[in-house]
Amino acid sequence: MPPKPHRVLLERVSVYADEAAAFMRRRRVARRPFARLYYPHGRSADHAQDSRSGAELFVAAGRLIEVAGKKQKG
Amino acid sequence: MPDAVAAAPPSGEAAEAALEFLTQMSPDLRGAAILGPGGEVLAGTGEEPERWGEDAAALFAAADEAEGSPVEQVHIATEQGEVFAVRNAGLAVVTVTDRFALASLMLFDMRSTLRQLASPNSGGSGPPRSRKGED
Repeated sequence: MPPKPHRVLLERVSVYADEAAAFMRRRRVARRPFARLYYPHGRSADHAQDSRSGAELFVAAGRLIEVAGKKQKG
Repeated sequence: MPDAVAAAPPSGEAAEAALEFLTQMSPDLRGAAILGPGGEVLAGTGEEPERWGEDAAALFAAADEAEGSPVEQVHIATEQGEVFAVRNAGLAVVTVTDRFALASLMLFDMRSTLRQLASPNSGGSGPPRSRKGED
C-alpha cells in the first residue's frame, strides 16, 4: 500500500531539516577564528591570527568583547 | 575618518534611540556603541559605555594599519564572540555578538543605523527602518 501523500511530504521536509542541522553542526565545528576587513569598492582582506596585523586585530576585538560583557537578556 | 562627515553629528538622544532599535533588531547582540566624528561615544551599552570609545579607536587603528588604507567594515570572529565595526559619514558603530551571528544581516543593520543617523532629512532623530519592514 503506498504511503499517504502528506506523509511523503513530511518525510521529505524532515530529511532537508536533518541535512541543514548537520550542515550547521559541521560549520560550528570547522569554523575557526578569522579577521576580515572590508574596504571601499567591495574589496576585502583576511588576516590570519598568527600574523602581526591579525594579532593586533584579535587583541582589539578581545577588549571590545570584554567591554560588551555577557549577553543582556530582555 | 575616510568618508564624508555628516553635516551635523546626531544628538545623544538620537544615537540612544538608534542603538536601542539596533539592539531590538539583533537577537545575537551582546553590546554595542555608536561613535561620533571625533571618536566620542554618543551611545553605548553596558556599565562603562565610555570604554567603547578607546577600544573601538584601537580596533580601527589596527584595521587601518593592516593594509595601510582606511577600512569601511571590520568583522572579527573569535571563540568568545564576534566583533563588527562599520564607519559611515563620519560616524561609527561597533557591535559585539554571540558566535555565528549572521554577518550580512548584522552589517546591513549597522549600515542602516549609521545612514539614518547621518541623514539630514531624518535629523538623526528616528530609528532606522527595519529590514523586516521591507517584506
